[in-house]
Amino acid sequence: MKKRLLALLLLSVLVLGCFSACGTEEERVLRVYNWQDYIDEGDDETASVLEDWAADYYARTGIKVRVQYDTFETNETMLNTLKTGKSQYDLVCPSDYVIQKMISATENGTDENLALEKFDYSKLENYNNYVSPYIKQVFEENGFDGYAVGYMWGTVGIIYNPEYVDEEDTKSWEIMWNPKYKNRITLKDSVRDAYIPAMSKVYREKVLALDGLNLSEEEYRKQLGDLMNSTASEDIAAAGDALKSMKDNIYGLEVDSGKTDIVAGKIYINQAWSGDAAYAIYEAEETAGVQLNFSVPEDGGSVWFDGWVMPKGADTELAHDFVNYLCAPEIAVRNMDYIGYTSIVAGDEIFDYVLDCYADEEGEYTVDLTYYFDGTLSEDYYSEDGKILVQTGEIGRMFSAQYPEESVAKRGFIMRDFGAKNEEVLTMWAGFKSNNIAPEILVAIFAVIILGAAAVLLWFTKPKRDSARRRKEWLAKQK
Amino acid sequence: MSRIKFTRKWLAFPYAVFMILFVIIPLVLILTYAFTDAEGNFTFNNLLTFFGNGSSINTILVSFIIGVANTAICLLIGYPVAYFLAHRDLKMPAVMMLLFIMPMWINFVLRTAASRDLLFWIGINGGEYPYLATMIGMVYNYLPFVILPLYTTMTKLDYSQIEAASDLGARPRQTFTKVILPMTAPGIVSAATMVFMPTMSSFVISDVMGERKLSLIGNSIQLYFDQGLWHMGSIVAVVMLLLIAVGMFATKNVQKEDDVRGTML
Repeated sequence: MKKRLLALLLLSVLVLGCFSACGTEEERVLRVYNWQDYIDEGDDETASVLEDWAADYYARTGIKVRVQYDTFETNETMLNTLKTGKSQYDLVCPSDYVIQKMISATENGTDENLALEKFDYSKLENYNNYVSPYIKQVFEENGFDGYAVGYMWGTVGIIYNPEYVDEEDTKSWEIMWNPKYKNRITLKDSVRDAYIPAMSKVYREKVLALDGLNLSEEEYRKQLGDLMNSTASEDIAAAGDALKSMKDNIYGLEVDSGKTDIVAGKIYINQAWSGDAAYAIYEAEETAGVQLNFSVPEDGGSVWFDGWVMPKGADTELAHDFVNYLCAPEIAVRNMDYIGYTSIVAGDEIFDYVLDCYADEEGEYTVDLTYYFDGTLSEDYYSEDGKILVQTGEIGRMFSAQYPEESVAKRGFIMRDFGAKNEEVLTMWAGFKSNNIAPEILVAIFAVIILGAAAVLLWFTKPKRDSARRRKEWLAKQK
Repeated sequence: MSRIKFTRKWLAFPYAVFMILFVIIPLVLILTYAFTDAEGNFTFNNLLTFFGNGSSINTILVSFIIGVANTAICLLIGYPVAYFLAHRDLKMPAVMMLLFIMPMWINFVLRTAASRDLLFWIGINGGEYPYLATMIGMVYNYLPFVILPLYTTMTKLDYSQIEAASDLGARPRQTFTKVILPMTAPGIVSAATMVFMPTMSSFVISDVMGERKLSLIGNSIQLYFDQGLWHMGSIVAVVMLLLIAVGMFATKNVQKEDDVRGTML
């Protein structure tokens, strides 16, 4: 027995020894924490972007690197992982409001597990050359500069089936309450996305009045953002009431089933992120021959971002190199093509990709994407910087989902972090999600059940007492 | 020198480790989280917030009602089925049993998603009838859990006693209430506990079948934990734990008495 144990010990020492010996060659590790399916992961024939970067880095510096790649499904999962402080990452890819939360944690020193390192933009050549001016401006306006580099972006709007839905109706979030489409609408099961139509309902008049104020673009976005992001207690309550009044009109809430349900024709209207919309529109046409459209309502069109940040203690050198690599247009095209979302990168390759997908020389409609591509295209590349001729039919479809026109983009505000009001908003959300049944009815049913249970218990126990009593009487008689 | 002897109780060692790691420590963690705030100070605030909040009470009541309704419907459907399956004259009982148990072998998520589409197809869509659709989904999913324990008890039924009852002049109804029901009471209780508690805490069925329009205790725990509100989520879990403990305690007494009655009769 003892000998066998000894042999086992020896063997394990040998094996472990080999492992540590085999790993002695110098190799640096970049630890990346990203959304699921959010990077070109390659296939049987082609390498992933991660492998290509490692090879590229080796070719440039002669240092071997390996990417440790982990994924998450929601921002909250990712935050919970970071909050435990157990895992150190060099790059994480949260959404806009989480970046905001992390920046505030860094600057106020509230949670060191969420603290961030700053980017040195002089090391990000591709970022400086190719990232869209529109994105850079929005980053600056919202204070993301310094801590984050964008990755993918898009809008929040609605996918709808034009066969059943009037296009005019899709220009307002009021459509979610429209009885014409009762039980044909789904809302995202996420308080942040549901807050958009809710606040739009609360502040519709003020939002629409902003148009008449002749504000600068920047000022417009700021004022719209302030209205739509209001977390004053009475506004939270009003948003809750607005959502409750919507509940009976919608088919349900969803996180993922909306895409398939609208393709299958179960529902006609689906609140959606632009990337999902592009996917659904494509799927519907390819698999079911159904035409779907995408629209960003004018009374509260929201823009979102996911971006790279470096948690405190990250290997900033590798992280900068990787982010810079991702900002190269030819790499951005690969990621866009793989995951279907829109990259924040502009530049020749991206413009070519857009032309490939949508342009038509005989088209009769000019989409002006100058706001997006300005300054990133090589000189003399195209005579008209960022203008694309397309068929009218492309408008309001995949193209619009991937690249909103300037009129939509310039109105886009960002949903901010709820900050200290987070719990209050969530309580409102829990109230909305709980059941639409009057408390009196609930208590009545509850009482009936308790009484019924008591009756059954009595019925079960009574005969026994009877027989015991009878037995006692009988025994007494015998005496 | 005393050597450690390998006795039979050492066989329980793996389970003891399992229990400490996955039962006792998590339970202690839940309790700690439930009664502390973000800074780690002891507090009853979570409990007060929970009960001061209309939506929590609403959720608990609805969960309880759906739990009771599901248990009752499953028993009403499952009891005759189990009796029929356990009957000694039944040909090929194993095959018949298989037909009732087989749904359990199909992946639960797939089964629920399929029943959602099926119900939509026959016109009971979860958007318009979230409660009805959820109830159907619940009954469909939990029926096998009722049939199995009832079947086990009923295969042990002593048929001579049933015959004796009718020989001694009991009417069919009396035979049922005075003989069969008491003898199968342990099966009923264990079937009920196997349905009632999981129903209250399930969240996938209500999410899928009710199109996320209704909320049970399981849903509200999920909501809080998803948002990183661990302390609130834990207090909901503790409240549910207490509800289940009360249920266990109540049924334990019934079961004891009925066991006695069952053997006495």
